[in-house]
Formats: sequence, structure tokens, C-alpha cells
Amino acid sequence: MIPFIIRRLLISAGLVFGISVISFFMMTLAPGSPYPWGELNPKIPPSYKEVFRKKFHLDQPIHVQYWLNMRDLFTGQLKSIKDDRPVLQRIGERLPATLALNAFSIVLSLTFGLLIGIFCARHYGRPPDLIASVVAFVFIALPGFWVASLALMGLVKGFHIPVLGLQSYGIDFPNAASQLLDRFWHLALPAIILSMGGIAVQSRYIRATMVETLREDYIRTARAKGLPEDIVFYKHALRNSIRPLITGIGALLPAMLGGSIIIETIFAFPGMGRLGYEAMLERDYPTLVALNFIVAGLVLIGNLLSDILYAVVDPRVRVE
Amino acid sequence: MKIRWLIVGIPALLIALIGASFINVSQLSTSKKNEMSIGTLGEPTTLNPIQAADAAASEVNSSIFNGLLKYGPDLEIIGDLAQSWTLNQTSSLWFKDAPAAQSALAQLEALKEKWPAWKLTNAELKDRQLLLRFSLPGLITTEEIAELFSEDPLPLHSFRIELKENSREVLAELTKTHPVLRQWVDSGSAFEITTDRDLTADLKTFFDARPQLEAKIQPLEPVRFLAEPQVVFTLRENVRWHDGAPFSSRDVAFTYRAIMADATASPRKADFDLIQSVETPDTHTVVVTYRKPYSPALNSWMMSIIPAHLLEGKSQEWWVQNYNRQPIGTGPFKFSEWQTNQYIRVVRNPDYFDAPGPWLDAIVYRVFSDQLSLRLAFETRQVDFWGADPWAVAAFQDDPRFQMFSAPSSSYSYVGWNLRKPMFQDIHVRRALSHAVNVPAMVKYTLYGNGLQSTGIFTPQMWFFNPNITPYAYDPEKAKQLLDEAGWIPGPDGIRVKNGERFSFTLITNNANEIRRDIAALVQDDLKKVGIEVKVETYEWAVLLKNFINKGSFDAMVLGWSLGFDFDQFQIWHSSQTNPEQLNVVGYQNEKVDQLLTDLRQEYDREAIIRMAGEMQAQIYQDQPYLFLYVPMSNGLLWKDSYRIRRPDGQGGWLDTPVEMTKAGWRYWADWFYRPEYADQLPKETR
Repeated sequence: MIPFIIRRLLISAGLVFGISVISFFMMTLAPGSPYPWGELNPKIPPSYKEVFRKKFHLDQPIHVQYWLNMRDLFTGQLKSIKDDRPVLQRIGERLPATLALNAFSIVLSLTFGLLIGIFCARHYGRPPDLIASVVAFVFIALPGFWVASLALMGLVKGFHIPVLGLQSYGIDFPNAASQLLDRFWHLALPAIILSMGGIAVQSRYIRATMVETLREDYIRTARAKGLPEDIVFYKHALRNSIRPLITGIGALLPAMLGGSIIIETIFAFPGMGRLGYEAMLERDYPTLVALNFIVAGLVLIGNLLSDILYAVVDPRVRVE
Repeated sequence: MKIRWLIVGIPALLIALIGASFINVSQLSTSKKNEMSIGTLGEPTTLNPIQAADAAASEVNSSIFNGLLKYGPDLEIIGDLAQSWTLNQTSSLWFKDAPAAQSALAQLEALKEKWPAWKLTNAELKDRQLLLRFSLPGLITTEEIAELFSEDPLPLHSFRIELKENSREVLAELTKTHPVLRQWVDSGSAFEITTDRDLTADLKTFFDARPQLEAKIQPLEPVRFLAEPQVVFTLRENVRWHDGAPFSSRDVAFTYRAIMADATASPRKADFDLIQSVETPDTHTVVVTYRKPYSPALNSWMMSIIPAHLLEGKSQEWWVQNYNRQPIGTGPFKFSEWQTNQYIRVVRNPDYFDAPGPWLDAIVYRVFSDQLSLRLAFETRQVDFWGADPWAVAAFQDDPRFQMFSAPSSSYSYVGWNLRKPMFQDIHVRRALSHAVNVPAMVKYTLYGNGLQSTGIFTPQMWFFNPNITPYAYDPEKAKQLLDEAGWIPGPDGIRVKNGERFSFTLITNNANEIRRDIAALVQDDLKKVGIEVKVETYEWAVLLKNFINKGSFDAMVLGWSLGFDFDQFQIWHSSQTNPEQLNVVGYQNEKVDQLLTDLRQEYDREAIIRMAGEMQAQIYQDQPYLFLYVPMSNGLLWKDSYRIRRPDGQGGWLDTPVEMTKAGWRYWADWFYRPEYADQLPKETR
């Protein structure tokens, strides 16, 4: 196991490096360059632009810029073009909100995915399964930002309730419980939207493996022994169908982090995704460099974790 | 069967929790805190006013900081931290020797009865230098006086020298060997010197001996005298910083030095470039001396003042970590907390100099990254104000829940014709184009009617706007007639032709701006009707600037200006500013406008500025280098009856009014806003 983990870590390090190179060059290929004071501004002589470009190494060739960015990132000196603060500090401020949002979304994806998947498998081929399947495909196909916008408009028009940010503002809460529930509401709403695709995908995986497992010989044996259907289903079949749940964590994380960019922006949620979105608009290269690095790292760690869990859960799988 | 219960139980629990939180949030009491919440689009980069350049930062900083001056409700300039201020000017003339100067002074003394008309208050000698002191800055009177003397004052030669590296030591070395009357260092690597002798040859020898400096010597036009306008500010006595330290002239001088310091990246440097010195004769007097008359410079003292006792001698690093995100100011509200990407909260400053200070306990600036989020926050009353887009105004203006405020903004959109292209050089053609485009319809379709037809380079809110200009009427018949007269005759395909050239051009704009794309399409359509072919091309902003605008290589473009209340538009309209990378991108040249632009910079009298600016606006509108399109309205929506205003009436009493529009915007009295629920906490006697 240990050599496997070390080998995987080495491969991941190589991957992260590759990702950082490619993403840096793609980023700088995009038209435009960071300049906070606006072009065509009669109040600011062009000479200031040169001073600014020099300060952030923008006058250097791209490979030198890449090297300088990486060096500063690893020495903790990398500073945002936007406000001159260390990028790690900026990301650190937003990390908890994003982690909470994504953790909650993953919990929702897995629990509801499991519930719906099992429900479909139980009613395999009958109308409830067909209806659930169609609904699942619809949710896989719907773009998250569209659903989010519609949900927000609906809640606001229909119920006039606050939906944005981390909590409601300018209101005296009657008690602490009410304030806590208010915070929960502001976390739950974006998490639900973010997890809808995940729930649908997970339920399809669970359903497929369940259906396959139920055709196995040992299930037939169990039924032939006269075991009650519930025992066969939940004890014998479910245990062997739970693997997608484990791999799901590894597969969900990248999708969620990607979705965060849009959902956090729409919900005015103070997370890393929104930071990334704003950094892209501002061409804040240092922040993007660090974000790419951290997100790539998180995703690779997620994959590694799910591989290890896979081996732990399934005794037949052994890693070499 | 525990697993079965878990599979159903956990989702059921989650649904129950979400349901409970939904019920909770929909039941939340509407009883509001005594706070105002404002939505901003985008987060401030920094709250350090000398570095910030974005709208969100200036919005927040307006609560935390004060400038020396500010706009009054009618956009007149009034004192803020400065109680009062006076203007004067010292002009220096040099003569060939002391007797010549003495005789000049004697001639001037003989004309003492003319001094008041010249605004001349004092004349004195300093060796061969004659110093004239005026109570109003300006060049014209000194020119007049210089003509009187039997012996002409010496012409003064100025040189601008640009170097590769820091220039201070070089300048010190240079002035040791060469007598220099005035010197001025510009942002570290360039300087200007003034002498009474032509130093061209000397400078050449000096820098030829130092080739490593790569000096570029640029002689400037010789002048007859040096004029140094001065502003003397008298500061308020009772002002304290939020940490309790007293505010004094030292803070003002420090703010100026901090902006100009080489280590500071400040977008405000250009505003203060012309300052010769900032002196503080005592703790409540600031004397600012300029190198030459430049009347718009007064506006730059609306700049927020930062505390010297906290920041002096600290590194940029220290500012970033300890000040830029937790500023200390003098304003009506104190900074309280900044939750990144959520909100910035400022709380009432009980020691504000304009006692009894603001009525509200706090202002919360909530940060959003798009208009939809902002709109939703407004509709759920999470923010009380919303600076709405035109389409939203159309949707909300009749909603009984809201109150709308509307005023022309200080920006305008235009189609710029590249006057270097032969087809746009004929003024009759440009006038025909202006008649051919239906601007009222454009306002209706692109802005939902929320705009005014522009009548030139200034907009109606500006105090120097010329209201007597009639906008071009939409008249395609007149346009056709003008084009016929100019020799553009319809060809076989319906497109007009002159000397074998078809009237066909490319109209460019930036693709991210939907309204500009719509404008381009409407112009294309309108011009097709009078027999002109327009091809529309859109580019990414950076590409548009780099490949087309900055090079001046385009036919016509749709862009806009948003310039604030500044009558000085030298960079945009002067004929010297038509080179690549400069802002007169259409290549407009008019001698009368050039003269007005130069004179305006030296004119301090309000009435004269209004007259000259109005004349300039009329002249440029007549020449139509742009097809001036429209001035969009700037709109604000407010939840009805959420605030009232109780402000001092200036006679010891109080004035209680609803929130109302002033020329400076509907938020002008924001320091005196109160929530009606909390009215019992306010002083009672009102009129």
C-alpha cells in the first residue's frame, strides 16, 4: 500500500506541474492584460502603465513570468495584482466557505443519489423507475447556472425571502437558533443546486450496479434459500453495489469545484469559485496560478483517497 | 434493517432541516436594525484612498474619509476639512541686471491706479528679479504688465531632460555648475529646469560627457515670466481621526508626499504633478504652490486625506497588511469590519466634526459580482438601494414598492469618425451623417428611453454645460440632400459614389458591450437608408485598443466617455494629442478649440469658465468630429419610505424632508438619513 501511495503521489506531482504549465500559458494567451486603472484614461499618463507592468513582471517573456510566479508561489511571496496581498492569504479567506459548500453538496449527492438509485433498482423496469430515470437525465442535462437563476427568481418572486450571501442582513434575529437556521438556509440553497447533477449521476451509477448485482448467482441462491426479499436486497445486494459511492467522492470533487465558480457567483457566496471568476475577469494571473495549483491538488488528492478507499472496501482489489 | 433506515433517514433528516430553515427564513421579522445596507457591484481593491481607483472603493471611502474640499448639493465646490481657502499668484520676471529691474518696478509704481483692475496686490524686487503678487491666478494680466516695461524682461528657457535612471543626483550635479532658476523632478527619471540663458550647448556638453545616462534633451518654448499660483487652505480646528489623534496640516502634506512617492502606485499622481511645493506654516494652514496656472487642479483636493501619524515612515508592505483593509479616516463613519466577498461594515463615528453626526448606527456595503444577484438582493430588501440598469428601470419604475431617482450621468456614447480618412473630412458629410442617424429611436431601443440626446462633449449635470445647443434632428431627407451637395451621388447598387469611390466604411466597437453592438447595428441600418454602406466589426477590448484605436487605424468606432465633472479635456481634443497612443484618436484639429483648451486651464473665474467651456462645446458640436449619440440616465431605486432626511437648516434648527434629488445625486445627504422607525432618537424641533 505505502509504495502505491508514494508512486501515486509522484505521478500527481508531475501532473500538477503539467497542469500549471498548460494553464499558465492558456491564461496568458487570452486577450487583454491586467491593468486596474483603465485604458483610455486621460487622468493617467501611459508611463504609469509601464511602472505597473514592471512591478508584476508583465514586461518579461512568458516563460520567465511563469518561473517568477512559481518561485513566488512556493516561497509564499506571490501577490495578487488586484490588492497586493499574498494570494495564499486571499485564498485562505475563501477556502472554508467553499469547503463547507462542497462538502455539503457531496453529502447531498451521495445520500440522495443512494436513495434514488436504490428506489429505481427496487422498481426496476416499472413506471417509478422510468419516471425517476427520465427526471435524472433531465437534471444531468440542465445547466446549473440556469437552474440557479430560475430557482432564485422563483423564491424571490414567490416568497420574498433572502437567498444570497452567507446570512440575512440588517435583521434582528429573535434567537440564536433562528440565526443558525438562517445560515443553514444560505448554505443549503446553493448546495442543493450544486448537487443536483451529482445526485442524478450517482443515482444512475447505484441503480446500474444494483441491477447488475441482483442478477448474480449468489442473489439467486439467497432467494432460493427463502431469505426475505428485504434481507437479500439491503444486505446481500447493497453491500456489493456500494462501490460507486466511494469512487463518486473522487469523481464528484472536480465537478463540484467547477460548478462552484458559477453557483458561488450567482449566489454571492464568498468562496474560492467566485474568487476565481473575479480573478479571471481581472486577469489577476498570480491568483489564478495559485488557484489552479490548489484546485488541481485537491482533485488529485480526492482521486487518490477514493482509490485507497476502494481497496479498503473491496477485499478483492489489491494495489501493487 | 438498520441500513434501510439510514438510507431513508439521512435524506429525510436533511429535508426536514432544509424545510425548517426555509420556514425560519420566511418568518424572519421585518424589524430592521438602524442600519443602511447598500449593494456594490464588485469588491473594492483596497480602502486606501490614494491607491484605489474603483467605484466600489470610492463609495465606501466616502463614508470613512474627507477631502479638503467637496461638492455641494448643486455641484459647487465647498469646504470639507478645509474651512476656507484663497487663491493668489506670484509672477517672477528676470531682468538683465538690478538697475533694469528697479526701473521696471518704478514704471509699475507709477501705474498704481491700475493695480486693482489687474488684481495686483504687491510688487517687490529681489536683486534682478521682479516679483508680482496677484489675488487671482492667470497668465493674461502678467503678459499685459510685461508689455509695459521699457526694457523687456529676459526670456526664460526651459528644458525637459529624460534619463534612463533616477535623476536626482544628476540634477544636483548639473545645478552645481550651471545657474538654474527653477527645477522640477518628474516621477524620478525626468526633470525640467528653467534658466535665463540658452543652455542648449552647455547641456549637450554636460550629457555628452555622461553617455551612460542616455539623456534626451527637449527644449521647451521660451517664456517671459514664471507664474506660480497658490492655494491657501485654512483647516477646520475640531477634527479628530477615528483613533482620537487630532487632524492637522501635517496630514495634508503627508497625503501629498505619499501620493507622489516613487514607491506608491497611485492613479492620482497626475492630479498632483504640477505642484511645486506643499508647505504647512502652522498646524491649520496649508499652502500649495503650483508650477503654473492649472485651474482644474483645485478639484484634486477633494482627494481623501490619510493620517500621517499612523502611516509616515511605514513600508508599502505594512500598508497592505495593516491599513489598506482597515483604514482610519476622519469621516462620519468608522471602519468596522471587512468580510471578503460578503460585506464591508462601517459604524457611526460619535466624534464626527459635523456633530451630532450621522443618525444611522452603521452602513453595510454588500458585495455582489453581477447585476442579477444585486437585483435579487434588492427585491428581498437585503439592500435598500439599487443603481439599476435601464432595462430594470423599465420593469420597476411603476412598482408601488419603490421610489425612483433619475438624473443624466456624466458619460456619453458617440460614433467617432476618423478625420484622417478623406470621406470624413468634409464637414457637410459629417453633418449629413448626424441627420441620418435616428438618435431618439436609439435611446428608445437600447436604453428603454432612459437617456437624452447628447449635445456635445459635456453633459447636462456639469455646471459648465451649455444648454443652448440644439441637437441634430433626425432628418434623412436633409441628409440625402447634404450628401448630394457634397458630391456623393447614388450609384447603381444604391450606395453613394464620389470620384469612383463608394461610400462604404467599417464601424468597429468592443464585443463585450451589448449596447454598443446594438448602436453599431442601428447606425448601419440608418445609414443604409441614405445610401451608405457600413460594415460592423467587433473586437475584444484589448485588441480593439491595441490594433485599431491606439494606432488611429480605423474608419469609425462606437465608444463612450465617462469623465467626471472636469472641464479640462485637453488630452481628448487638442490638436497636439493626435499621435498614436494619445486620446484625440479621431484626429480633430481646430485652432479656436486649441486656444480655448489652453485658456481654460488657466482660468479660475467661474463665470469665465462657463462662458469658455460653453463656447468650446458649441464649436466642437458644430464640427461633429463625433456623432454625439446620447447621455444615459443614471438611475437609483430605493425602497419607498425606508429613509427620511433630517439635516441642519443652517440656522440652528433642523429640516425634515423625504429623500430627494440634488444635482449631486440622491445620496447627497446620506450622512443625515434616518429610518422612520428610529425617529424618536433624533432632535425634535424641525421646520
